Amino acid sequence: MAIQQLGNERTTAYADGADLVMERIFDAPRDLVWRVMNDPERVTHWWGPKGYTTTVEEMDVRPGGRWRWINHTTGGEDAPFRGEYLEVDPPVRSVRTFIFDVPGFDDRAAVESMVLEDLGGRTKVTARTRFPSAEDLEGALAMGMIGGALDSYDRLADEIAKG
Amino acid sequence: MDMQRPDPLSLTFAALADPTRRAILARLAGGEATVKELAEPFDMTQPAISKHLRVLERAGLIEQGRQAQWRPRRLRAGPLRDVADWVGQYRRHWEASFDRLDDYLRELQEEGEHGDDGDDR
Repeated sequence: MAIQQLGNERTTAYADGADLVMERIFDAPRDLVWRVMNDPERVTHWWGPKGYTTTVEEMDVRPGGRWRWINHTTGGEDAPFRGEYLEVDPPVRSVRTFIFDVPGFDDRAAVESMVLEDLGGRTKVTARTRFPSAEDLEGALAMGMIGGALDSYDRLADEIAKG
Repeated sequence: MDMQRPDPLSLTFAALADPTRRAILARLAGGEATVKELAEPFDMTQPAISKHLRVLERAGLIEQGRQAQWRPRRLRAGPLRDVADWVGQYRRHWEASFDRLDDYLRELQEEGEHGDDGDDR
């Protein structure tokens, strides 16, 4: 199976069929990582890209509990996400549905599982997200890559414009 | 009339919902091309490709050059970037969030060294 390497130098990311897998090692004990990832107040300190703010509208971390988080982008737009917790096993594993809550996307749920592995004072987090189909994931990645190509194209154009 | 037109983002998504059209865009991301050139990699007639091009054009994803008869198509970056931003958001979101989580965990632990509750000075 073709595995596509993505990600930056700190996070390992790869596509595996309909799964997007991201791995990252944090220099903190597992209990703390779990708390910070599952506490509604603390989520607002790290969820989303730099500069974005987050509102946790709902977050009931237990099986059947709902969550809805809203990212306020630097461009002044709101990007809402929601879903339901399916499995919660602190401090090791949680599974939840993940829906990008905007028309056109809100009819398809990805299933996101987080596994926290104790490395003795450090913690490996593996986020595995199963998209509704491999095509969805491929579509998303293809568009992301086109986006990247566009940026390079833009930079090239700027460079040429300088003469 | 205007009120019945789908919003630009929906048009863009509809245009991108087809693998041939995505491949055309990927090709145009490398530079402008004529209809003939665009049709080459596909097992399709030029009229079929032209139909795809019209969909992309309506969505504002591509435009036609003014040069002579062969009128090369080129990419218009704006709408596509919007979509890439929305769809690609998921992965970038987690990468960026992990970066921030890393910083935040460090902060919390440094606070912990000065006093267990963080507000103990």
